[in-house]
Amino acid sequence: MSDTPVDSAPAPATPAVELNGVWKIFNEGLPTEVIALQDVSVDVGYGEFIALIGPSGCGKSTLLRVIADLTHPTRGEATVAGLSAAAAREQQRYGMAFQQAALFDWRTVRRNVELPLELQGVPRAARARRAMELLTMVGLADFANHRPWELSGGMQQRVAIARALAVDPPLLLMDEPFGALDEMTRERMQNELLRIRGETGKSVVFVTHSIPEAVYLADRVVVMSARPGRITAVIPVDLPERGEQTREDERFFVAVTRVREALRSGEPTEVGRSRVGEV
Amino acid sequence: MSPRLSLIWPPILVGCAALAIWQGVVVGFGIKPFLLPAPSLIATNVVDNAGVIREAAVYTATTALLGLLIGIIAAILAGLLASRFIVVKRLVTPLAAGLAAVPIIALTPIFNNMFDITSRTPRVLVTAIIVFFPVFENVTRGLTQVPTAQLELMRSLNAAPATIARLVRIPNALSFFLTGLKVAAPLAVIAALVAEYFGGPQQGLGARIASSAANTAYGRAWAYVVAAIIVGLFFYLMVLLLERLARPWTGRARAT
Repeated sequence: MSDTPVDSAPAPATPAVELNGVWKIFNEGLPTEVIALQDVSVDVGYGEFIALIGPSGCGKSTLLRVIADLTHPTRGEATVAGLSAAAAREQQRYGMAFQQAALFDWRTVRRNVELPLELQGVPRAARARRAMELLTMVGLADFANHRPWELSGGMQQRVAIARALAVDPPLLLMDEPFGALDEMTRERMQNELLRIRGETGKSVVFVTHSIPEAVYLADRVVVMSARPGRITAVIPVDLPERGEQTREDERFFVAVTRVREALRSGEPTEVGRSRVGEV
Repeated sequence: MSPRLSLIWPPILVGCAALAIWQGVVVGFGIKPFLLPAPSLIATNVVDNAGVIREAAVYTATTALLGLLIGIIAAILAGLLASRFIVVKRLVTPLAAGLAAVPIIALTPIFNNMFDITSRTPRVLVTAIIVFFPVFENVTRGLTQVPTAQLELMRSLNAAPATIARLVRIPNALSFFLTGLKVAAPLAVIAALVAEYFGGPQQGLGARIASSAANTAYGRAWAYVVAAIIVGLFFYLMVLLLERLARPWTGRARAT
């Protein structure tokens, strides 16, 4: 599971994620054709935290799925650490977390975290040890033998994050993982994620539709707009060490405003018409 | 303990009251036993024929259990195939629905001719067919209706379809299977009982009810009916017990 520890690897020449002219067109050539992604190119550096933000239907989840090799781009290509997306998935070079924690009720919390290791044929004792390590990191060691449905939503998400880290992948792909949580839990989870990322040095691609969340977490915010889904702005966030005081920092508000304006300017001018066909 | 008792007492009380009213009405209005026998008459018959009733109940329960097991195994195998191959699903679903709609009274005489009428076989087959549909329907649903995020997760983990079936689809189908079984188990008892009305061995509950009624022994016929109810309830309770035992695996489905 840790045959290539991130910190001991030589500084790679290729970015953690590279998207090159990616198009995703559903029902191409048919009257129902939808351009989900239009010529998207973006790089994610090693150890960088990228937030993808945009209105529903802007293709941000599709983009994440292209990186994860859960869907194929119509044109263009995605590479993860220099590997094709397919090879990266086969070699487990990323871990993924979803809005629904997607835990399995018939497994204990620990066995849920063990799942990726189990699929890789890691011996029982080794994977149990690794799972306990991760559960300790997310503060849930005491709940190892509970069932997922006995846990709160925030706790379930922490288990899902622990599971995404199980094979120690250099990259985390997260699709609105805190979208279903209440505001208080959400902010706590954001701090938790930043701490885990600080401890593990992972690169992260994080899909969200919350502007403060994107600004608080990310080194760069990639702003997308809908129909066709495309990147309209990439906003670097220059904030000191994040902490609770960051949320009240002047620079935080400035960045929030910049992202909000970028989102607005990405909207088509006829707002009324853009609503038609909203999925 | 006391909240449990407070759950148990009301139905018992209502049941006793209903029996008392029933007894009162039959005695009071002098209703003949062929219309409605008094509870006291049924009770006397249950006691007098206890040995035969127990044997008949065991016979019919065995038929129902065998049919239930065969139906379950067939339905699970068909469900696995149907969830894997859409062609099988399109082929089996209407067939199973059609077969489930064929009345037992039509099916039994045919099977009696096709198989040895003196054996249990035709009855077991009729029961298995009745059991098949609700179990197949639910198992197929449980194997296919897996939350999208769980499937995407498994694909992101590079899991092969067979692995996804073993680790996700089959455990996901467990609570659906139990729902199907809850319908199928009492149905199995009814099917096993009714199948006895069309000739063959006479030691089952269905055959005993028919022959007692034909001999105008209505009290005895109703004593067998009481046994049939108890067998049906027993099957249902067994499913509830299974559900309780499966709780660690089906937790959320039960909790909500």
